[in-house]
Amino acid sequence: MTAPPVLSVRGLRKSFGAMTAVAGVDLDVEAGEIVCIIGPSGCGKSTFLRCINYLERPDEGTVRIAGDYIGREPAAAGGTRLQSARQLDRMRPRVGLVFQQFHLWPHLSALENVARAPIRLRGVDRSEAEAQARALLARFGLAAKAGRMPADLSGGEKQRVAIARALAMKPELMLFDEPTSALDPEVVGDVLRLMKELAEEGMTMVVVTHELGFARKVADRIVFFDAGRIAEMGPPDELIDRPRSERLRLFLSHFQ
Amino acid sequence: MDFSVEAALAALPALLRATGTNIAIAAAAMALALAGGILLTILRSLKIAPLNLVIGVVISFIRGTPVLIQIFLFYYGLPALGLQLDPLTAGICAIAFNSTIFISEIMRGGLADMDPGPVEAAIALGLKARAIWGKVVIPQLLLRILPPLVNEATIILKGTALLSVITVVELFRAAQQISATTFRPFETMLAAAAIILVLNVLVSQFGGMLERRLAVRRG
Amino acid sequence: MTLDLSIITDNAGLFAQGAVATVYISVAAIISGLLIAFPVALLRLSPRRVMSWPAVAYVELFRNIPFIVMLSLFFYGLPFFGLRLQPMTTGIVALALFGSAYFAEIVRGAILSVPRGQMESARAIGMSYLRALREIIFPQMLRFFIPAATNTSISLVKESAVLATLSVAELTYQGLIVQGQTFAPFEVFLATATIYWGLTALLAAGFRTSERRLGGQAQRGFSSRHRLAARYLSLEPEPRS
Repeated sequence: MTAPPVLSVRGLRKSFGAMTAVAGVDLDVEAGEIVCIIGPSGCGKSTFLRCINYLERPDEGTVRIAGDYIGREPAAAGGTRLQSARQLDRMRPRVGLVFQQFHLWPHLSALENVARAPIRLRGVDRSEAEAQARALLARFGLAAKAGRMPADLSGGEKQRVAIARALAMKPELMLFDEPTSALDPEVVGDVLRLMKELAEEGMTMVVVTHELGFARKVADRIVFFDAGRIAEMGPPDELIDRPRSERLRLFLSHFQ
Repeated sequence: MDFSVEAALAALPALLRATGTNIAIAAAAMALALAGGILLTILRSLKIAPLNLVIGVVISFIRGTPVLIQIFLFYYGLPALGLQLDPLTAGICAIAFNSTIFISEIMRGGLADMDPGPVEAAIALGLKARAIWGKVVIPQLLLRILPPLVNEATIILKGTALLSVITVVELFRAAQQISATTFRPFETMLAAAAIILVLNVLVSQFGGMLERRLAVRRG
Repeated sequence: MTLDLSIITDNAGLFAQGAVATVYISVAAIISGLLIAFPVALLRLSPRRVMSWPAVAYVELFRNIPFIVMLSLFFYGLPFFGLRLQPMTTGIVALALFGSAYFAEIVRGAILSVPRGQMESARAIGMSYLRALREIIFPQMLRFFIPAATNTSISLVKESAVLATLSVAELTYQGLIVQGQTFAPFEVFLATATIYWGLTALLAAGFRTSERRLGGQAQRGFSSRHRLAARYLSLEPEPRS
């Protein structure tokens, strides 16, 4: 028997009032696979990402992480039921989420931002958690910044700390929500390079991005999201060089 | 003892009549306080050091002491200074004076947040101080501080109930008097509370409406 | 006229007793009011109507009914529910609940003052709602919370004077007693007011210290670029150059 996909999404739907953000999405991501999601703004790609760890609660559909349901699970009586808050909180650390705006905790040092969750949620010894956090920060070129407060870090540094914070929980899947959109152009490369390294180490990743160059180089698959649906999906060369739909052609033309 | 809805309902007409007094007191106090607040604000803007020092102490005193004591001072204390006021006048004065201070503080905050542009333009045009205050600063300021002013109005309205302690027959005092004859204090108080609750909510709603109106006109 | 200070010194004991009672009542009401405020604010922030609506009603009831009326409702009303309390206890309970409504609004505003992403990043990593509040939101909301909570606490000290209407032997009541014995209302109420003044100033100073400890905000002054307009728009003395 083969291992279940790291991420398996079935029939995911989410509306905000009359506006449908995600209109029925199925997606499987295998271990070590890098999937980049592209699409026009407002197409629901960020909402889809936030539905994966139930930061937004989808209206319908199921999400499994390595075979385990997150947020909603099949009910004994048929259909599905929402998981308890406690179940959900236990599942969430298995998925790391990196935000466009970093959302570092400003009252905690870079080190504490990374070490806090393992200490509190995993019961890791403080000294051990701090050593692990220092190692992560050092790997990301932030050894000298461990004691800094987020306000004293540059945008690129903040995002690297945010990635370290998510990795500290040893997630099986990393989600990136436009991780470089809020960064100055000159530091975008640093963050992308770091993500590429993670990919090469075998991390499973779903990345919502506008960086087509990154998507082409790093992604195993690109998903083109349009109007809340997966409009096209395929290997980078195929999708970018031979778009099948007019919509995708139009979207790509903005990047020429 | 069982709760008697009839007792609460029976008290309503008399309570509603007494509420007229609260409304009248609040209206008078608000008008005085608004005028007083504007005057005090202009006075403070002159930045006469010794005067502002005195004003500062008075502000601190009013903000740091209970309105109830301020009411006692106006009613029981002023005769010692040769100023004998009837309960109603003393009460209105006490509430108005208290509110003057708070409105002036609201205005100070509002002024600091105002766009200096129009004022600078008025100065450049050579307008007299009187005109700058009257035509430029105050109208803009009042628009800007409308929400806290409405809030102050509800505070004044609630404060009118305190005048019961110096024998002004307003809603709360009337409720006490009715209770004394019907022996239904809880029901009567509940009716009184309901009246002032509705009145306060109405004032807040009216303020909100006014605010939206003006926002539309400005926008 | 002259102030007859002997009226104050002769009755210093009564004033002191009253002041102690006022401090006791205020501290009890402030602490329990704050404790009640947190669950009320959290209920009010709930996206579910059944949760938020009672909290809204609670807050609006206490904020729109004068405390003097509320207090007498408690005094006459609690026995209806089989609760026979001392006037002092009734007063503390009423003042605490009254304060909790105001504190709840401050807590709510303070929580909302923290950017949404903070809660999201905490939840995304697996913190429960309550843990995220405690570890991530609360430390960040203090900046907003402390000044507002100070003002409400001062209001409660002042509002506690109304307990005199239930003959609770706090400061205002003792003032009325001394006034009844000496017939010197001006001295008596001035002294009473001064004690309140001192108490509220003390409270404000205490909170200011805690604010500074937590890293106070920079004072926003009037920009020197707008010196001219500052003649009208600033009541602070002009900065010396």
